[in-house]
Amino acid sequence: MYEIRFHGRGGQGGRMAAEAYALAAFLEGNYAVSFPFFGAERRGAPVRAFTRVDKEKIRIKTQVYEPDYVVVLDETLIETEDVLEGLKENGMVIINTTKKPEEVRLSRPVRCATVDATSIALDVLGRAITNTAILGAIARATGEVGIESVEKAIIEKFGARLGEAAGKKNAEAARIAYEKTLIGTSQGGKAFVPKKRWLPDVNELPVGGAIGTLQTDAGLVGIGSFIENKTGDWRTFMPEIDKEKCIGCKICWFYCPEGCISMVDGKAIVDYDYCKGCGICANECPVKAIEMKREVRI
Amino acid sequence: MNIKDLPEDENYFTPGHTACAGCAAPIIVRNMMKIFGKDTIVYTPANCLLVFGGTYPYLSWKVPYLHEAFENTGSCIAGVSRAYKKKGKKVTVVGFAGDGGTYDIGIQALSGAAERNEDAIYVCYDNEAYMNTGIQRSGSTPYGASTTTTPAGKKIPGKLEHKKDMAEIMRAHQIPYVATMSIAHPKDFLEKTKKAKETEGFRYLHVLSPCPTGWRADPAKTVELARKAVDCGMWTLYEAEYGEITNIYKPKKKIPVEEYIRGQGRFRHFTPEMVEELQRWVDEKWERLYGEKP
Ligand SMILES: Cc1ncc(C[n+]2csc(CCOP(=O)(O)OP(=O)(O)O)c2C)c(N)n1
Ligand code: SF4
Ligand code: SF4
Ligand code: SF4
Ligand SMILES: [Mg+2]
Repeated sequence: MYEIRFHGRGGQGGRMAAEAYALAAFLEGNYAVSFPFFGAERRGAPVRAFTRVDKEKIRIKTQVYEPDYVVVLDETLIETEDVLEGLKENGMVIINTTKKPEEVRLSRPVRCATVDATSIALDVLGRAITNTAILGAIARATGEVGIESVEKAIIEKFGARLGEAAGKKNAEAARIAYEKTLIGTSQGGKAFVPKKRWLPDVNELPVGGAIGTLQTDAGLVGIGSFIENKTGDWRTFMPEIDKEKCIGCKICWFYCPEGCISMVDGKAIVDYDYCKGCGICANECPVKAIEMKREVRI
Repeated sequence: MNIKDLPEDENYFTPGHTACAGCAAPIIVRNMMKIFGKDTIVYTPANCLLVFGGTYPYLSWKVPYLHEAFENTGSCIAGVSRAYKKKGKKVTVVGFAGDGGTYDIGIQALSGAAERNEDAIYVCYDNEAYMNTGIQRSGSTPYGASTTTTPAGKKIPGKLEHKKDMAEIMRAHQIPYVATMSIAHPKDFLEKTKKAKETEGFRYLHVLSPCPTGWRADPAKTVELARKAVDCGMWTLYEAEYGEITNIYKPKKKIPVEEYIRGQGRFRHFTPEMVEELQRWVDEKWERLYGEKP
């Protein structure tokens, strides 16, 4: 048996990728199961999905804790959590990034495959939905399934939902990714400090759980404490405001769902710590002073 | 009252919340809260706003805030309001409920609170389905929309019934104030919020809240969709006091519903007959509200 853990963000289709991969393996005569990890996630928040493949019937139902392969659909995730957690000694990680395997820094050096699935998806599908392109990269990097089975699985799974033409386009994205995947070894040495949690005992917890704002060694909790939750890494596109053009009308300030635009000397500025890149500000600016640009992360 | 009259440095719903990119609900909530002000106590039942506005012990709200069961918004805001009255404190009590929590499961508590004319504000942010649990149809879901419980396919072409007119039900309660609102009309939106704050007794505010995830739409088009919903007549802006409509907005140029539903994946399967059926419903509503044929 081998196990895969997918790391993505809500809305990126990690769950569909896990399912389509299971189907591809099934088409080659294997048993396969896949399922997502449910929480209170919204589109953009980190999520996980899992696939198990075996020649025998699969009885185990737990989440995957010690994967053979880790797939990362969104490269910002390798900055915030140790995606290698539990990965088997000789395991492999497949990452959607513009970088070469040798340029990727993780907690330890591991076998690593990289592919720029976002660019492929934008080129072929016109949208930054990377869950099909990445499947081609998995086929290439692991050799566990053939690219033909991946294409078939995509056409069946995505075609049923989005129509035949879209199914084929998605299969094409996988094929291109298959051809462009680079295989090597990542760098190691990146340190992750696990996020502390606030775990009060029964005597510390106020009646009814009602808290004001508390500064704890796990950071702020209570009223207004979400201010410490930086959502900027959800972005694929970033707004750029042309100060010369901005007339200070405050329309973007009113409409930003994050409330992360402020007015300084009569001009709008974005707090990129929180901006999720929705594009509403650019769409609503009456003088077109805002342009959405593909985010380049260094 | 317009955008420029809003306080810049007061924000009672902080960044860091986890709504999907492009969600209209935090736009509604943050701007309303600027007017309701710091002496406000907020209630939310189970819905997206509850979840993205905080996961215990973290919270975006910067005012006293509580959560109870899904169906209880009407009774909870009534209780909170009475408790503060008893203490002799003047506070604004607001409940923010979704359409599922309003049209369906919360309607009895809401109707009771309205009938007793409790001194509180009830806001329905209407994203036209049960979004928090993964896009199930509600009484608010428009005709033909594909949801996970009305999936468009060979068996059914999406939801079979039309949207229930919740604001009219609330108007029939003859409460001090009912307003239907849109983020695409900021001046109107803010003036109605202010009026609600200044009115005593039960107040019902109903805002259409485009949801890029559930409507399967481009997050950048959230405000544009809110605008088109008004322009085509799917969503009508008015105010009513004690059951009488005192102010109604009429789009300068009525656009066909087709222009509104285009670009929303939940309507992608629409046949010309379905478009016609939706247009018929809109035209009838138009005639009912404006007293003339479109
Ligand atoms: C009595 C009860 N039934 C079901 C649920 C599960 N539930 C939580 S949120 C939700 C959907 C809420 O829908 P809506 O009120 O429209 O708000 P939205 O999430 O769409 O913003 C449901 C069904 C619950 N919490 N309580
Ligand atoms: S909407 Fe455009 S012009 Fe208006 S404040 Fe924002 S950037 Fe400036
Ligand atoms: S892209 Fe969206 S989140 Fe970012 S600043 Fe513009 S409106 Fe706000
Ligand atoms: S599902 Fe819809 S309503 Fe809920 S947070 Fe996402 S966009 Fe907002
Ligand atoms: Mg809803």
